[in-house]
Amino acid sequence: MAKSVPTGKLARSRLASGAVLKAGGKHLSHIARRPFMSSESCMEEKTLLDQQTAEILFNALSQLRGTALKLAQMLSMDSHYLPEPMRKQLAWSCHQVTPLGRPLIRKLFLQEFNRAPEKIFTEFDTQAFAAASLGQVHRAKSREGEELAVKLQYPGIDITIDSDLQIMRMLVKRTAHADLLLSSLDEISQRLNEEVDYHQEADNTEWFSSALQLAPIRIPEVRRDYSSKRIITTTRLVGEHMDQWLSCNPSQAERNHFAQILYDLFVNSFYGLNALHADPNPGNYLFAEDGTLGLIDFGCVRHFSADFVALMPQLLNAYLEQDASAVLHYYKKLGMVVEGLDAGQQQDFYEALLKPFGDWLTKPFKAGRFNFAKRDSAYMKEGVEIFAKLSQIKKIDTIANEFIYFDRTLFGLYQIFERMEAEVNMEHQWLI
Amino acid sequence: MKISKQEKAATRSKILVAASEVIAERGFKAASMREIARRAEVGDATIYNYFPSKEKLLYGYCENRQHEVAQALRELDGFDQYTIQEQLHQLIETELTLWLPDREFLGEVFDTTFYSPAASLVNLAETRRLFNLMVDEIINNAVEAGEIPEQPYQSLLAPLYWDYTTAVLAYWLRDDSEGFANTTRLVDQSVELITIVLQTGVIGKTMELVSFLFRTHISRTLNSFGDYTRPWKKAKRQFMASHDG
Repeated sequence: MAKSVPTGKLARSRLASGAVLKAGGKHLSHIARRPFMSSESCMEEKTLLDQQTAEILFNALSQLRGTALKLAQMLSMDSHYLPEPMRKQLAWSCHQVTPLGRPLIRKLFLQEFNRAPEKIFTEFDTQAFAAASLGQVHRAKSREGEELAVKLQYPGIDITIDSDLQIMRMLVKRTAHADLLLSSLDEISQRLNEEVDYHQEADNTEWFSSALQLAPIRIPEVRRDYSSKRIITTTRLVGEHMDQWLSCNPSQAERNHFAQILYDLFVNSFYGLNALHADPNPGNYLFAEDGTLGLIDFGCVRHFSADFVALMPQLLNAYLEQDASAVLHYYKKLGMVVEGLDAGQQQDFYEALLKPFGDWLTKPFKAGRFNFAKRDSAYMKEGVEIFAKLSQIKKIDTIANEFIYFDRTLFGLYQIFERMEAEVNMEHQWLI
Repeated sequence: MKISKQEKAATRSKILVAASEVIAERGFKAASMREIARRAEVGDATIYNYFPSKEKLLYGYCENRQHEVAQALRELDGFDQYTIQEQLHQLIETELTLWLPDREFLGEVFDTTFYSPAASLVNLAETRRLFNLMVDEIINNAVEAGEIPEQPYQSLLAPLYWDYTTAVLAYWLRDDSEGFANTTRLVDQSVELITIVLQTGVIGKTMELVSFLFRTHISRTLNSFGDYTRPWKKAKRQFMASHDG
């Protein structure tokens, strides 16, 4: 049976602070017991603790829905700093969507256009055909007979973002990398507030469509006359979602073909447009029979500074050449500072933590065609272990905001490549 | 001069609209019948023919609103195709939409009816009856269509939904979120819960439990009351006997 959802901020934050208190209590009891434990059982205890904290945290989160879910989704993708059990819980919570019933659909249309959907379109399917971030997508047909996709925003989601984020901040303070997570929450908060404004998404879609010069990519056209702040209407692209497409057992050549398009899109938009379609959710790609790829949902587009675009390949190059001082130098220039290390310590730091990461990171760039098929490499699994080690670094003071979206998009793509079991040519595209 | 039924209805609704405006502007206490009559462009005496008191105006407006809500639902395309959850939800949304221009007025209704000690709920009886008719119809249809099981104590459900709707309206009157988004979410999520309650017949089961407890435990208490009253009865008998004697 579904629980009722507390809506007042007071109720919401009380719910969350209850969770924080519980989590805090668990943490304290853990600390109190630690001196008497061997280091091994201490690790076991820590895992158990993380597991319990995760459960408490996400019981609270799942009662909040809305933004909290979206947050969970984002954190589970980019936060390698979260303990493993927490990420599992997060990933699980991503699958829940709140469907909108007809009264709310009607209400939204009346609010935004002063007309009911059946008065605007010749056909409007009240059953959503896809879940979107913070809303859902419906099929419709215009008076001109054009097939449309209409994305509706869950009413009231925009006003709960701030209170949900505040709650998240309280919760995150309990975790090991509070500072880093807090700064990434600020970035996420900004992005979420942009994402609930569909005018901005319409602008992004049109901008991408005119700026991107990649033949096999199709981008839908925005229908401004049917779009507003909370509703966005675009032409409907043909093509199958990834799961559907994979279930038809595409050939290796087809898999490689589409994966290559996705990777080229990433490189092209980062280098050519200084921007990324930063939401590598498999639902945002449509695989068509003619070999073209439909790209939808421009709610999350991240623009990068010219500095970042120029420095990033140099950092990757430094990793390729295994040049410790250059790596640290570029990190510093990019805004990630490792304080208080002399030359010898820097070398140790590099050898212990950054070099394994760099070796892992640059592997696909050296390999000619890199095979993401799980049976061969388990590349991302290896990556998660490396990230877990990286997350033990206590000395990094700041994490450059641009990194969050760059990493999230790139590693999100890698995960997709693994599911596609594709081979991708990534050699030297980054190198100057 | 004879006035047709139609003209009468038009005058009535003109007075109600004027009343809602004046009461929203001045508050219930300060609004005068004279001003309302002037706003409605009717004579000072005429208004009393239609509404003998200010209270009757206030509640007449609420009754009228229920007729409007019912009308709006009847005119809604495909309303009969909605699920029971959607119908109950639409009912509340329609109430909210139609009350929106008169939100201040509704505030006055609440202040006068629910928050002041002199309030009399009797005044809203007709409004409540009209509202309950709509809920009864929605629930009956859902039972007939087999969407929810037969509801024991079905006559309880509409009054409960009335109480719920009253609570939602009270929440809405204090909702300062943009576009009353908090109310929207509250309604969306609570109607879902209510539907689940209807689908599982929880209310009927609760009522059975209550009546079981009442029958077994209250009646036992009543019996023991009997014991306590015995000495008193004895005393009374003696008292009466002594008087007789």
